[in-house]
Amino acid sequence: MEEELKTIVESANEKVATVTNRAGFEAFKAEISGPNGSLTRVMKGMGSVPKEDRPAFGKLINRAKTQLQEMYDDALRSIEEAEIAQKLGPAIDPSLPSPEFGPGSLHPLTQIREEISRIFKQIGFTVAEGTEVETEYYCFDALNTPADHPARDLQDTFYFPDKASFGNVSKKEDERYLLRTHTSSVQIRTMLKEDPPIRIISPGRCFRRDTVDATHSANFHQVEGLYVDKNVTVRDLKAVLDYFFEQMLGKGTKTRFRPHFFPYTEPSFEVDFSSTHLAKLGSEWVEIAGCGMVEPAVFDAVGYDPEVYSGFAFGMGIERIAMIVYGIDDIRYFYQNDHRFLRQFA
Amino acid sequence: MKVSLNWLKRHVDLPEKPDEIADALTLLGFEVDDIETTGLEPLENVVVGEVLDRQQHPNADRLGVCRVALGEGVGEKSIVCGATNYKVGDRVPVALPGAKLPGGFKIKRSKLRGVESDGMMCSGKELGVSEDAEGLLILDGNPQLGTPINEVLTDSDTVYNLEVTPNRPDCLSHIGIARELAAWFKRDLRYPEINDDHPLEERPDSHSIFSGVSVDCPEDCPLYMATVIRGVEIGPSPEWMQELLTSVGLRPINNVVDVTNFVMLELGNPMHAFDARDIQGGKIRVRLGFDGETMTTLDDEERKLSSRMVMIADENRALAVGGVMGGQNSEVKEDTTDIVLEVACFKPSTIRWVSKSLGLSTDSSYRFERGVDPHSLKFATDRAVELILETAGGEICANEYVEGGVPAWESEIALSPDWVRQKAGFEISDDEIESSLEALELEVATSHSDWKVGIPSHRGDLDRPIDLLEEILRMYGTHRIPSGSVAATATTRNDSPITGFVRKASDFLVGQNFSEAVNYTLRSQDEQTLWASHVSAKELALRNPISEDQTQLRHSLLPGLLETLKINQSRNTGATRFFETGRSFREVNGKVMEMISVAFLVCSEGAERTWRESRQEDYFWAKKRIERIAQIAGVDLDRFPIKPVDTNNAAWQEGHCSEIEEPKAGISVRIGLMNLARTKEMDIRGEVRAGIFSILPERLHDPKRVKFAPFSHYPSSSKDLALVVDKNEQSGNVLRSVSKIAIKATKGQFDLEDLHVFDVYEGIGISDDKKSIAFSMTFRSMERTLKDKEVNQAFDAIQNEIREKTAYEIRD
Repeated sequence: MEEELKTIVESANEKVATVTNRAGFEAFKAEISGPNGSLTRVMKGMGSVPKEDRPAFGKLINRAKTQLQEMYDDALRSIEEAEIAQKLGPAIDPSLPSPEFGPGSLHPLTQIREEISRIFKQIGFTVAEGTEVETEYYCFDALNTPADHPARDLQDTFYFPDKASFGNVSKKEDERYLLRTHTSSVQIRTMLKEDPPIRIISPGRCFRRDTVDATHSANFHQVEGLYVDKNVTVRDLKAVLDYFFEQMLGKGTKTRFRPHFFPYTEPSFEVDFSSTHLAKLGSEWVEIAGCGMVEPAVFDAVGYDPEVYSGFAFGMGIERIAMIVYGIDDIRYFYQNDHRFLRQFA
Repeated sequence: MKVSLNWLKRHVDLPEKPDEIADALTLLGFEVDDIETTGLEPLENVVVGEVLDRQQHPNADRLGVCRVALGEGVGEKSIVCGATNYKVGDRVPVALPGAKLPGGFKIKRSKLRGVESDGMMCSGKELGVSEDAEGLLILDGNPQLGTPINEVLTDSDTVYNLEVTPNRPDCLSHIGIARELAAWFKRDLRYPEINDDHPLEERPDSHSIFSGVSVDCPEDCPLYMATVIRGVEIGPSPEWMQELLTSVGLRPINNVVDVTNFVMLELGNPMHAFDARDIQGGKIRVRLGFDGETMTTLDDEERKLSSRMVMIADENRALAVGGVMGGQNSEVKEDTTDIVLEVACFKPSTIRWVSKSLGLSTDSSYRFERGVDPHSLKFATDRAVELILETAGGEICANEYVEGGVPAWESEIALSPDWVRQKAGFEISDDEIESSLEALELEVATSHSDWKVGIPSHRGDLDRPIDLLEEILRMYGTHRIPSGSVAATATTRNDSPITGFVRKASDFLVGQNFSEAVNYTLRSQDEQTLWASHVSAKELALRNPISEDQTQLRHSLLPGLLETLKINQSRNTGATRFFETGRSFREVNGKVMEMISVAFLVCSEGAERTWRESRQEDYFWAKKRIERIAQIAGVDLDRFPIKPVDTNNAAWQEGHCSEIEEPKAGISVRIGLMNLARTKEMDIRGEVRAGIFSILPERLHDPKRVKFAPFSHYPSSSKDLALVVDKNEQSGNVLRSVSKIAIKATKGQFDLEDLHVFDVYEGIGISDDKKSIAFSMTFRSMERTLKDKEVNQAFDAIQNEIREKTAYEIRD
C-alpha cells in the first residue's frame, strides 16, 4: 500500500513536466485524483485496511495528497504564467516611438484670442458675441459714422443685395445688410440689451474689402472692449490698457497715447507700445490699438444718458498681436493652415 | 499730406532737430508716415577746406596725398584722396575724424596703403546731396575755410509726410500745421503779411475783361469770389517759391499757377486762375452739369459730366469742374495777360461725390471734401493777389465779384475746469487749461468756474466741452496721461454661451489630436455649388465681392477644411486631422440664418507610416465625436431621428453618411464619408471622414448645473434578446420600440437600467432580406436585489409583447 502511494507520487512527479496546458493538466489530474484515478482507487481500498492500521494509512494518504496538491498548484501556476506570457507577447522595445497621432493644437489666432479674454476677465471684462453679418445701422449709424464716411463705401465694405434676408440679424429700419467691419456693432447691441455698468470685450471675425497681401486680409479678427459706468475717466482707460499690454507683451511694456480721430470716441487716441521683450520690434514705438472715450452721440443712440454715464472703448487686431507676439511676418500663414505652421503652437 | 520744414519755418521758429519736430507732430495727432530729407543732412565735423598741394602716393598710382588747409581752428591736414577732378586751390568739403556721413560711414584717422590720412575730402554722393560720385564736390564762391558745410550748402529741407485726420481740415496747410507746432512749442505764429498798397480808387475797372458771376446752385457753392488782374506777364515763378513747391512734390508751372498752388498749400484754400480771354461772354456762371456734357480737364482727360457736378462755366461751355480741376480750354498760358482768380468754397459731400464718380482726386478736391472755412476766402484772395502782382506784375481791378455768403461766425463753449479734471481723471491746473486753449487761438474768458471759450471759424470741429477736453489733453501731451490702478470690481456677467461652447468643443477636439484650421468665410460660387449643390447660392452672395474666389458666405466649414487637407497632402506635412469652428450660413424658409458650426475631418492617407497600424476611423468613430460636441452644446442627439443624407447632396458618399436636420431645434448635423469621387477630383488621396455640427447661436445657453441622481446599491440582472428584423430597418427604431415595451413590462416593479445593441448579424440562418439585432437589457431595483423569478416573468412579458405588437421575430 505504501509502495503503491509512493509509485503514484513518483510517476506523477515524472509526468507533471509534460503538462503544458489546461486540458493536459485536467487529464493529468483526472488520472490521479479523478473518480477512476489511481489515488482514488487506493483511497477506496481503505475499507479493507485493518482498523488498527487505518490511522497510519490515513497519514500516508494525506501526505501523498499534500504532495500531489503542491504538484497541481505548481503545474497550474506555470500554465497560467505561460498563458500570460503568450498573451503579452515578447518584451517591448521601450525606445520605439508611439504610432499614435501627434498632439492636436489650437490655432494661434485662437490662442491669442483666449489669452486676451483671460487677461481681461481678470479685471472683470466678459466676452460678448454678435453676428458677422450686420446692418448698416449697427455697424455705422449707431457709431456716429457720417452718412458719407468713406468706410461705408462699396469700395471698402462688403454689402449684400437689397433683397437679402437674414433670419437672425435684426434691422433697425430698412438699412442694408453688410459684413461687419469691426466688432463695435456687438457693443451697440449689448448696450441696447443691458444696462450699465457694462464691461465687455468682443473678439470676432471682421471683413474689409482689402486685397490680400502680407499685412492685409479681407477676413481678419479683432477684439474690442467697452467699459461704461459713472465717472469713467481718461486715466482709467490708460490704466486698463497699460495693464493689458504689460500682461500680453511682458513686464515693463510701455504704452503711449497719441491723439487721433474716430467717429465713435471723443477724445480718441491711437496706442503705441514699446517693449524690451520683442527684440528690435519693440525698441521703438509701434502702433497697436485705437481707443477713446465713448462719444456722447453713441450713448444717445443706445439710450444711455451721457450726462450720467461715461465710458471708454478700445480695439485692436488679433492677427497683428499674434504676429508681434510670435514674430510672424506674413498674415497669410494664418489662413493657409500648413501643419508645419500650426504644430508650432501645439 | 507733405509738409516742408523750411516752409513751416516761415511761420514759426522751430527747434533745430527735425526729429524733435516729428515727435511733436506725432503727439499733436499727426502721424508721420515718413520723413524725407532733401539736400544736406545736418553734419558735424564736415567743414570747408582748400587743397594746398598734391603729391603722388608712394605706393599707389591712383591715389594722391594732399595738404589741405582748414582755417585757423584746425590748421592743415594731410589727406589721401583718389579723386582727380580737383586742382590745387579748389575748396572742397572735408570730413574730419569724428564725422559721421549719411549712410552711417564714420571718419577715423587711418592709414591708406601706408600713408596717414587725417580725414576725407567728399563727393556730392558721400554727403548725400547729389548722385555724383565721380569726383570731389568743388565748392563755388570761395567759402571761408573751416566753415561748417551746412552753412555753405543751405538748400536742404526736411519733408514730413503727415496723416491729417478728417476732423482737422484746418490743418491741410502749412499755416495750419505751423499753428499747431507754435502752440506745442509755445512760440508765436507768423501769418503772411499783406500790404495793401493798391488803393481802390487807383484800380482800373474790369468790365472790358470780365463783368460778373452768377451762382445757380448756392447749396453746392455757397460762396464764390472772383478777382480780375490785368496785364500780367507769365513766366517762371521765383526760385524760393519753386523750391518750396518742389519740396512737397508739386511741379512748378508758371508764376500765376504757382501762386495759386502756393497759397493753397500755405493757407489751405484751393483756388483757380482762368485766362480771362477764354471766358466767353465775360461772365462766369456756376451751374450744375448737363447729362451728356463733356469737358477736357487739365490732365488731358475728357470727362463725362453729370447733373450732380458743379461746373464753373461761361455762357457757352464748362471751364472747370468746380472744386476739383480746371479745364484745358481756359488755363493760364504763356501769352495770357488778364486773369480771373477764383477763390470759392463748395459743399464737401458734393465734391466727394464728384471726385469719386470721376475717379479724380486732386489737392483741391481733397481739401473741399473735408471742408474749407468760408471765412478764410477773403484773406486767401488778398494773399494770392499780392503774390501774383509781386511775381507776375499786372494790376488788380477795382470790381469785387462775390456771390453768396455765409453767416457771421460766432461760437462759444461753456467749460468748467473742474469738469475737465473729472473727465481726465487727473490734475491739470486752471492755468494749464487756460494756456492750452489760448495757445490754439481759442479765446478763454475765465470767471469763477464757468468759463466761456470762443472758437475761431477755422475750428468748426469744436462745439462741445468734450471736444475741448481733447484739445487740452493734446496740449498737455497725451504721452503724459498718467496711468492708474485698474478699478476691477466683481462682474456678474458670464462669457457668452457661444464663447463657452466653441471653447469646450475646441478643447475636446484638440484632445482628440485634431489641429485647428482657420479658413476664409467668403468662398467661391464654384466651390459652394460643388459641395452644396442643393444650396441656393444666390441667397449667400455678396453684392460687391472683391474677387471671384470670394463671392459668397460659406454654407459649411467642410470645403475649407478639405482645402486645408489638400494643401497639407500636397506639401506632405503628414497631418490628417483638422477641425474648425466658426460661422456658417444656411437658408431656412427663404431666410439666411447665421449658425455656429464645429466641423472636423480625418483622412485615411497622408499620415507618416508607422511601425504599427493605429486604429482606423470609421463612420461610428465620427458619430461619437459629433455626439459629444452636441452634448457640449446641451443637445442630446438621441432625441432626433437620424437619416441617411439626402441623395441629392453631392458632398457625401451614399450609404455611408447621415444627417439630422431639425430647424425647430435650430440644429443641423452631417456625419460620414465625404463623396469619394469629389475628393478624388480635388486630388485628395484616401477616404475623408467628417462631421459637422451647426446650431443657431440663440439656442446656446449657459450650461445647466448638474443635478445629482441617486443610484441603486443592489446588483443588476441582465437578459439578452435577439430579434430578426427587416434588413432596412434602423436599429434605432427597433431599440426604441423594445425600450418602450421593456419599460412598460417592468413598470412599478423595477427599472430598465440599460438597453443597447451588442450584435448585428446577417448571413447563414437568417433569410436574405432580414438581419438579426441582439440587445442586452439590464434591470435593477432601487430597493432590493432582484429575484430570478421576477426578472424571468418580466422578460417573458417583454417577449410576448414583442410577438404580439411588433413585426419582429424573436430569435431563439
